[in-house]
Amino acid sequence: MNRMPTARRCALAGGLSLCLALSWSFAETPQEDAGRRLYEEKCGMCHAAGGMGTGLLARRYPPGQELLEQRSNLTPAFIEVAVRSGIGNMPRISRAEVSDEQLALISRYLSRQATP
Amino acid sequence: MAFDLPPGLTAREFERALAAFAGAVGEQWVLATDEDRATYSDHFAIDEAAHRPSAAVAPLTVEEVQAVVRLANEHKVPLWPISRGKNFGYGGAAPRLKGSVVLDLSRMKKLEIDVENGTALVEPGVGFYDLYDYIKKNDIPLWLSVPGNSWGSVCGNALDRGVGYTTYGDHTAQICGLEVVMPDGDLVRTGMGAMTNAPTWQLYRYGFGPSWDQMFVQSNFGVVTKLGLWMMREPETMLGIDMEFDKADDLEWIVDTLAPLRREGILRQAPSIGSWLRGAAVLTTRAEWYDKPGALPDSVIDAIRKKFSMGWWSLSMRFYGPEEITAATAKVVRKAFNGRPVLSIKETAWRQGDPPELSAWAGVPITFPLQNANWHGGRGGHVGFSPVLPANGRAALAQFHRTYARYKEFGMDYHGSFAMGERHITNVNQVLFNKDDPEMMARVDKFFRALVDDATKQRYGEYRTHLDYMDLVASTYDFNDRALLRLNEKVKNALDPNGILAPGKSGIWPARYAGERS
Repeated sequence: MNRMPTARRCALAGGLSLCLALSWSFAETPQEDAGRRLYEEKCGMCHAAGGMGTGLLARRYPPGQELLEQRSNLTPAFIEVAVRSGIGNMPRISRAEVSDEQLALISRYLSRQATP
Repeated sequence: MAFDLPPGLTAREFERALAAFAGAVGEQWVLATDEDRATYSDHFAIDEAAHRPSAAVAPLTVEEVQAVVRLANEHKVPLWPISRGKNFGYGGAAPRLKGSVVLDLSRMKKLEIDVENGTALVEPGVGFYDLYDYIKKNDIPLWLSVPGNSWGSVCGNALDRGVGYTTYGDHTAQICGLEVVMPDGDLVRTGMGAMTNAPTWQLYRYGFGPSWDQMFVQSNFGVVTKLGLWMMREPETMLGIDMEFDKADDLEWIVDTLAPLRREGILRQAPSIGSWLRGAAVLTTRAEWYDKPGALPDSVIDAIRKKFSMGWWSLSMRFYGPEEITAATAKVVRKAFNGRPVLSIKETAWRQGDPPELSAWAGVPITFPLQNANWHGGRGGHVGFSPVLPANGRAALAQFHRTYARYKEFGMDYHGSFAMGERHITNVNQVLFNKDDPEMMARVDKFFRALVDDATKQRYGEYRTHLDYMDLVASTYDFNDRALLRLNEKVKNALDPNGILAPGKSGIWPARYAGERS
């Protein structure tokens, strides 16, 4: 299989090496794996390196923290509100595009590093 | 929370309709909570409430679409079909008529590729990223043409006359064969698809007799459930020339230099001459440079340009194919610009075997241009104003000066570009705004209407517009007392007597909702 990263993981040339470095860099539970895949599929176009969301978050966060996968302060409740209510320039995402079950897996994946 | 029902329906009738839809698609895919209604509203709208739907229905199959359409007729429910609903700047997922039920086709993601012939057959839910990932996973040597916001649907973008960056960038022109659910629930295939199992559905556009593909573009005459699309084979080379220009008035000779290259087919991709803010709004925010209201003064514009090494105008051209052809094309283009005061010229080159160039020029989906909505800070948004002009430098420069003066008059920052068609220019102007600034938001509507009025006086019509302005723009197409609108509405009423499909789309109102016209 072609191992070139998908567009969702790297939206720009500058993101290529960073994306490769980030991929599969930790042991995952099956749920985290499902959450990561869904995150890439549903959110990666804006939140991978080079995407709109990453570009805008880079204006507000220290280097590295603009990538949601690297954050340790995301909680499921915050993620779910951001997705369904929109935040800043991010439009709201419908349940047809990301179901509640899918959103729960994505939220769990993104909050896996959250410190209580 | 109270919400707008479809016009003419009681709450009980509406509930009955939703129950009927649930019977067709499954209860899970009838989305009718307050949160659901908000997710289908237009995040970038000047007034979101003006276009809020009552619910959404999300079928998975063509048969389910047919069932929903038949039920909508039975229950007299207006539907607003969307592919993926990412038509930002033009209305997103929201309906023209508030209270409509969004027919969300984003779950329909079937995709077929004919590698040998370079064609795709996509359902409406297939996004540019889906198509790109499929091609990469399967090592298919085809390139996409993607728009500046590639989050959306391949099908939906082509049906709204979206554009991209390669020689296949006129997406509507790449359509070859449609499958359409008609307003009565009948299923039609256009072109060669009208013959069952014809191997030429995606190869020959016209079929026999009248050809209907364009009838379903920017219209409300049917629900497209499959769309055939021509795709570009990965070229041997992609050579390019990027240019920057120092003066705003350079626009006239830039257009006059490019026009014959486009008209004669030397430049096969539609280059866009973009003002400095097109790049700057992606790279920086206004507050980093200026904290006063009103359009940016020239001194600030100069400082931003200096920081990012930008011209007043920027232009990128790309040539695709065997190097014998692309190198010769580059030579001809450079010769055409000889002796002109070009501020800077950069040549680019990609050849098969090089690492992939992850740019829209190479058909790689992107979303970063949407960062421009953050130019003012706050919750950003934009609407597009895009009149069509002749490919003529004098006309382009006059249009620029008229538009620039209006931007200044309304205290907005000019964000314009001139995309060179073969014999026309699409003058795309983005009006960037801050939804958290009520004073600015109060100006946007008047500003937009002034732009339309100015263009109409020159007899320039828009190629595409936001929900708020569909009636306004349709009214500017005024030959013989708006004979085209009369024709569209005769067709609409004949095909859709209950007026259930997208009432008001492109200013076309069925008789049932004629009173809703603005």
